[in-house]
Amino acid sequence: MSPSPLSRLQTSRRGLLAAGGALAATGLAGCGASGRKDVTFYQSKREIFDHIKTLLAELDAAQPQYRYVHDVASNLSAGFARRNPPDVALQNYNLEMSRFRERGGLSDLSDMEEASRIRDDIKDLADWYPPYPGRTSVLPWSVAGAAVIYNRAIFDEHGLSVPTTWSEFTALCTELQDAGVTPIYGTFADAWTLNQGMFDYTLGGMIDVRTFYEQVTEIGEEVGPGAEHSFSKDWQEPIARMLELLPFHQDDAPARTYNEGNTAMANGEAAMLLQGPWALPEIAKAETGAEMGMFPLPVTEDPADLKIRVNIDLALWIPEAADQPEGARELVKFFMQPEVQDTYNVDFLYLGTTKDAPPATDPRIVEMQSYYDEARYYMGASQFIPNTIPWANYLQAIVFGEKPETMLARLDSDWASLAYRA
Amino acid sequence: MSETTSTPPRASTPQRSSAPPPKESPNSPKIDPIYYFFLFPALLAFTLAITVPAIVGFGYSFTNSIGFGDWEFTGIRNYIAVFRDEGIVGAYLFTLGFALVTVIITNAIAFFLALGLTSRIRFQRTLRTVFVLPMVISGIIIAYVFKFLFSNTVPAIAQTLGIDALSQSILANENLAWIALVIVHAWSTIPPALLIYIAGLVTVPEEVYEAASIDGASPASKLWHITLPLVSGYVVINTILGFKGYLNAYDIVVGLTDGGPGVATRTVAMSIIRGFEGGDFGYQMANAAVFFVISIVIAVLQLRLTRGKASFGS
Amino acid sequence: MSTASTSTAPRRMRARVRYNVPATIILLVCAITVAIPLFVTINMSLKTTAQAVDGRAFTLPAPLSGDAFAEAWSLTDLPRALSVSIFITAIAVVGEIVISSLAAYAIVRNWHRRLFRWSFFYLLAAMFIPFPVVALPQVQMTGMLGLDNPVGVAALHIVFALAFNTMLFTAFLRSIPISLEESMRIDGASTWQVFWRLIFPLLGPMSATVGIFAFLQSWNDFMMPSLIISDPRLQTVPVLQSMFQDQFSNNYNVSFASYLMAMAPAIVAYLLAQKWVISGLTQGAVK
Repeated sequence: MSPSPLSRLQTSRRGLLAAGGALAATGLAGCGASGRKDVTFYQSKREIFDHIKTLLAELDAAQPQYRYVHDVASNLSAGFARRNPPDVALQNYNLEMSRFRERGGLSDLSDMEEASRIRDDIKDLADWYPPYPGRTSVLPWSVAGAAVIYNRAIFDEHGLSVPTTWSEFTALCTELQDAGVTPIYGTFADAWTLNQGMFDYTLGGMIDVRTFYEQVTEIGEEVGPGAEHSFSKDWQEPIARMLELLPFHQDDAPARTYNEGNTAMANGEAAMLLQGPWALPEIAKAETGAEMGMFPLPVTEDPADLKIRVNIDLALWIPEAADQPEGARELVKFFMQPEVQDTYNVDFLYLGTTKDAPPATDPRIVEMQSYYDEARYYMGASQFIPNTIPWANYLQAIVFGEKPETMLARLDSDWASLAYRA
Repeated sequence: MSETTSTPPRASTPQRSSAPPPKESPNSPKIDPIYYFFLFPALLAFTLAITVPAIVGFGYSFTNSIGFGDWEFTGIRNYIAVFRDEGIVGAYLFTLGFALVTVIITNAIAFFLALGLTSRIRFQRTLRTVFVLPMVISGIIIAYVFKFLFSNTVPAIAQTLGIDALSQSILANENLAWIALVIVHAWSTIPPALLIYIAGLVTVPEEVYEAASIDGASPASKLWHITLPLVSGYVVINTILGFKGYLNAYDIVVGLTDGGPGVATRTVAMSIIRGFEGGDFGYQMANAAVFFVISIVIAVLQLRLTRGKASFGS
Repeated sequence: MSTASTSTAPRRMRARVRYNVPATIILLVCAITVAIPLFVTINMSLKTTAQAVDGRAFTLPAPLSGDAFAEAWSLTDLPRALSVSIFITAIAVVGEIVISSLAAYAIVRNWHRRLFRWSFFYLLAAMFIPFPVVALPQVQMTGMLGLDNPVGVAALHIVFALAFNTMLFTAFLRSIPISLEESMRIDGASTWQVFWRLIFPLLGPMSATVGIFAFLQSWNDFMMPSLIISDPRLQTVPVLQSMFQDQFSNNYNVSFASYLMAMAPAIVAYLLAQKWVISGLTQGAVK
């Protein structure tokens, strides 16, 4: 019998255990070594990691008390369940995040001077989701203004100007088609692009999103055919309008993804893309020099109805259970400095949230600013449906040919069921 | 002549170690207490780490908890809602069908590959290494690469060859997307099944085959009468585990189709995990409880069907 | 299939084996399908970002660039993550092999006793418990016990794999004849000695198989470390790599470079282990 290979395994394993143990111990001991207290900062938006790391380095250098640890991958639910969530976070604020707020998981920041510098209508944006009364739990830091991205060169080439009514829009699309140019690039394989694109734009342009959701939340279990408001009833017309957009997309749209869409726009393969400002840097990455602009999708005949879609792309919050609330607040103060906040929003093509934020000047999003300042915006209707209801998939089914009535009825019954068991 | 080589065809001797009753040591009824030490600490840890949390988790299924903060008891509302939810029922039907097809295909291919890899072929060692490669490649890469292949490469090839049916990406076809799922799952789960079959096949000694050859048996009949019966225990393991694995299919489904197009390929695991992440904790615990019961029932059925036919190399 | 060659070859040419050519060819073709994803990974990782964003998997890098590796290395803090992953995986692999083989031996040798037999079925049944059910309670429990760190994850890996490994060892153990043990016992060996001196070495091939499964599962595991480990600096490679997984990012070259660097230890481990598996397997379970 040959000498057991397992004995070799034993020696190497002992070595590994020792090495691993030593490393783990150093890691843990490291927090105390420099004398600074560690503050966990959760931020998971990948596109801005480098920028954030630079800012954290600046912050570390600017004060001697705290060392900020950039947490990119922790599971928030687990952290809250265990009562040791991150100390401070800069995250997208959406329905899922609002659960922590609703149950009192986030601390009150209203006493901070920075909180008062934020525009009231933007602070109110956070309250479109269930609030925790009496507290300012989140500080919106960066807002995304989304609309139709269009290729300026193609528009110029065909002598087209930005449409302000539905009929102007469809006429423009038809003209492009006749000239052999794909009017809109579709990325239907990624259901979320349908949700946040053609769906949100059509719905937001035709119904009052906030009021609608207040109504169906109130109706709760009774949502369905007999109710005064329901998804089947109120969404029927907007969805029909949305479906009218389909013929203007390219043939292989069902198989194309978000990333392919960005590359295609960079290569001038289509005139328009129904996507938010986060796509603009991605388009620029291909370095083709294509120039983009944005205009709100007109879905009615009245130019006064024009609105852009907004969402709180990044907001600051500090959990109640934070170990280092003071260190957390230091970071909040730092990030809320105009040099930091405004520079970020300008560089990354987002809109500022403070009363004194400078207007956007980048040609790609400059058209959004006036709508934003005049409060001519809405939050996407898709952002109020909990993840447990796969609305994006239902929408995709509709786009792929399923009858809207069927899927909307499904949505009604899912919503009712949710209310029933809550 | 030592006693270790005294017995030729293993298949015919009944007093192997798998036979239950008393014949395990000269002084039978007295159990060596060290056996308790071998087993029970592990069992205890297992109970603490899995059974207890499972009971707690199932307890939550009678509440409206979102996994954090306040909650209240809601009785069996969640269970009623589960059975009324056509999305969940649809997911179960799809998942069951998908699991059945995949387990058959995967095991058939893995078995024949194992036969090939334990026979006299060239490059045996290299091939054995290569075939286990899918296990090493992480699920994300697998999903990404196959998604690209199905959406771009396959249609391109189909168009040049003039095959219309495949010219559009099958991932965008509600009726055919499941085929892509079966292919990718088979691809990534054949290696573990393969390893297990190889381990089983090598316990069958050469002499058995040689004796059969001398008697004039054909390769096919050797396969049916000798190989299969001797490794049937491993076949059972693979099919039960495989089925359970496919019932739980999540990572690859999300990476490849995300349950789409529409909800055509939404699996039960997706419902549970998505709902769980969407704060629908209590409800998805009820869903998971139902799922657990169904999985066990199926496994027991599988065992019943193969009872008496399964052995483990003896 | 396996004895096609021995029957007619003359004695002195026994040394040169006649290969089963059709089988070889079929296997080679199948092997190519297996190699494609690996090729794509390496291909994409050697591109520049400007080229990689188009996502074309089969176009070759032009120009060739190693930038992606450098970026992935620093973005994921790879050396630290690798050591955490190695730590967890090493404990898990060793723990799983030892603990499961002991348990399997006890079960197989006491199959006639209800307690042991039922333990086996208990483990098996518990294998079907869906992970989401136990996830949150486990998170709370590990938090309370101070196990919300790599050690806790390793322990959980061992416990989760207990049923599967025990099942494999049990199956394998049944093919080991009891006569070997009996002769050792007659000579006065205790059960402990019988296990370590006779059984465990014989379990070699299955231990290697279990070890490979354990390694790969523990190394590639995303869910458990992401839920259980609370200190972000003690996270494992898959969790940190999840930053490349969101559908908004198309830095494919960096993502694939990262996956490649993470896969490398797994491939190396497999290459080392499979030598033992093969040598163990070809020696046969019993001589």
